[in-house]
Amino acid sequence: MNCPEIDRYFDARLDAQLPAAADRAFEAHLTGCAACRHRWETYAGTWALLGRHVAPEPSVGFVARTVRRLESPAPAPVFWPLWRWAVLAVLVAALGGGGWHVGHHWRQNRLAMTYAAIHNHDDLEDYDVIATLDVLEGDNAL
Amino acid sequence: MTDNEADVALMERIRAGDREAFRELVERYQRVVIHLIHRAVGDAWEAEDLAQRVFVQVYRSAHRYRPTAKFTTWLFTIVHHTVLNEQRRRRRRATESLDALQQSDPAADRAGWQPADPRAADPAQAAAEQELQEQLGIVLRELPPQQRTAVILCRFEGRSYAEIAAVLGCSVPAVKSLLHRARVTLLQRLKPFLPGGV
Repeated sequence: MNCPEIDRYFDARLDAQLPAAADRAFEAHLTGCAACRHRWETYAGTWALLGRHVAPEPSVGFVARTVRRLESPAPAPVFWPLWRWAVLAVLVAALGGGGWHVGHHWRQNRLAMTYAAIHNHDDLEDYDVIATLDVLEGDNAL
Repeated sequence: MTDNEADVALMERIRAGDREAFRELVERYQRVVIHLIHRAVGDAWEAEDLAQRVFVQVYRSAHRYRPTAKFTTWLFTIVHHTVLNEQRRRRRRATESLDALQQSDPAADRAGWQPADPRAADPAQAAAEQELQEQLGIVLRELPPQQRTAVILCRFEGRSYAEIAAVLGCSVPAVKSLLHRARVTLLQRLKPFLPGGV
């Protein structure tokens, strides 16, 4: 283990995750290298210092108050503010309207192409043309 | 019976509506839940209020608890999300009202503050200890939420990487990375408080 790589082992060592052989190599390097030892002691020192943080103990009667709180009604479901619903409605309307518009144009184009194809077809009987137009107009009124 | 088996047995009774089992569960975990929340929010009263919400949530969600995971993992996940929700709610309020922000500042300054122990032999030492406690609280609260929860569970509760990963819903390598980044921040912020630190 050398100076550039030793920092990579700091976390594993703090969490006691370093295998025994690596731990011995780590310790051996620190014994001979004052700079690395200082870096390690500072790193481990701040972690140890954090452990001195004191949190308060539960106050007297906490358990009883918590059990009593079961009696309180469940909180009402959180509703979205009105402006969010309005934005959502506008988005849905815009997407729906846009989709209908695109679909409508596509149907119109297709019908116009069909008309043109039928009228240019000289060998079609009249009744075929009329029947086809009836069907087309019935399904896709312009 | 292991601790987890005892927890699972309690949860089964709670699921059946047994208030006495709920009381036992609160007795058992009040300290750890309050400590976890206090280290995240800083205020003792608020920590108790949120801890009560956590326990009520445990009671109301008991039917959804499956003993496939450790009970504490489930409990800590509820704690983590309760704290996150509360902080989101606070941020929303702060942006909605400048007044609310200004009112919350003194509380934040006060957070973590504890009166000096009058019985302390050396007042200077007591004051230094109080300042250290204040700084430790501030540093913890200012960590990003995921890093903070990882640090609290690792440093103060001695939880494994795997359990922290389950609470945070991430992988074990991600937990290692969260802890490393948090430790680098702690190093920068707490170095002056080390003996002979600069």
